[in-house]
Amino acid sequence: MSKKVLVVDDSGTMRKIVIRALNASGFADTVEAADGAEALSVFQGSEIGLVLTDWNMPNKSGLDLTRDIRALGSKVPIFMITTEAEKGRVVEAIQAGITDYLTKPFTQEALQAKLEKYTQA
Amino acid sequence: MKAELVNPFLGATSSVFQTMLGCELSRGEPSLKQSHSPEYEVSGLIGLTGKCQGMVVVSLGRDTAIKVAETMLGEAPPELNRDVIDAVGEVTNMIAGAAKAQLAQYQLSVGLPSVICGKNHSIGFPSNSTPISLPFESSIGPVCVEVGITEVDPAAV
Repeated sequence: MSKKVLVVDDSGTMRKIVIRALNASGFADTVEAADGAEALSVFQGSEIGLVLTDWNMPNKSGLDLTRDIRALGSKVPIFMITTEAEKGRVVEAIQAGITDYLTKPFTQEALQAKLEKYTQA
Repeated sequence: MKAELVNPFLGATSSVFQTMLGCELSRGEPSLKQSHSPEYEVSGLIGLTGKCQGMVVVSLGRDTAIKVAETMLGEAPPELNRDVIDAVGEVTNMIAGAAKAQLAQYQLSVGLPSVICGKNHSIGFPSNSTPISLPFESSIGPVCVEVGITEVDPAAV
């Protein structure tokens, strides 16, 4: 699969933190988007192998982005990194089609441990 | 304001500073907020809605805000710039989100954070809430979290 990773968060700070963890886990090829709408456009124009997305963003949420990507027929792994931690919200995200979930705040180690699952894919 | 509405913000603030910034906070004495001016120059604001509604403000000094951004970004911003504002907004978002997770019974939604900078700025909390000020000390400077949320009257919905 393509190893290009799409990082989606309205916070530039969070995108930098996530990209730092990706680089440390061997993912050197990353592309960024600041909301779900921009991310969908990037996704449709590139060969993306992994999506890491926030949930709450302007224009289009990470949840709606996930639904849109699945509606395109893509099985790309989608990894939600969010403050939404309640059980009902996690279920909602799984039903939308996410592959994995990490709640904020998180340690760099926790994020890298999650990413290791995808380094062999 | 009920203690059960405020206590999650104590733990959430400590957790976010420890996990994201490697910074231990020591708690000061909570107090009712008497003025509209936050304690410090930089304020991260976020609204909460649901069976409770109101606002949370994370108040930091200029130097503390810059150190927060430096720790998160891995490089020191030269001044209080967009990177610092973004980092403070994200810390505010994480504190509200972590507290929200402990208040599941109130079915809260968190808005997008905003950040205000400037000496002597004022913030108006919802008129029916008396904010509680939660002061903390840390190695990167003092932090104050102001929580002004109230339960929504079901009859009014």
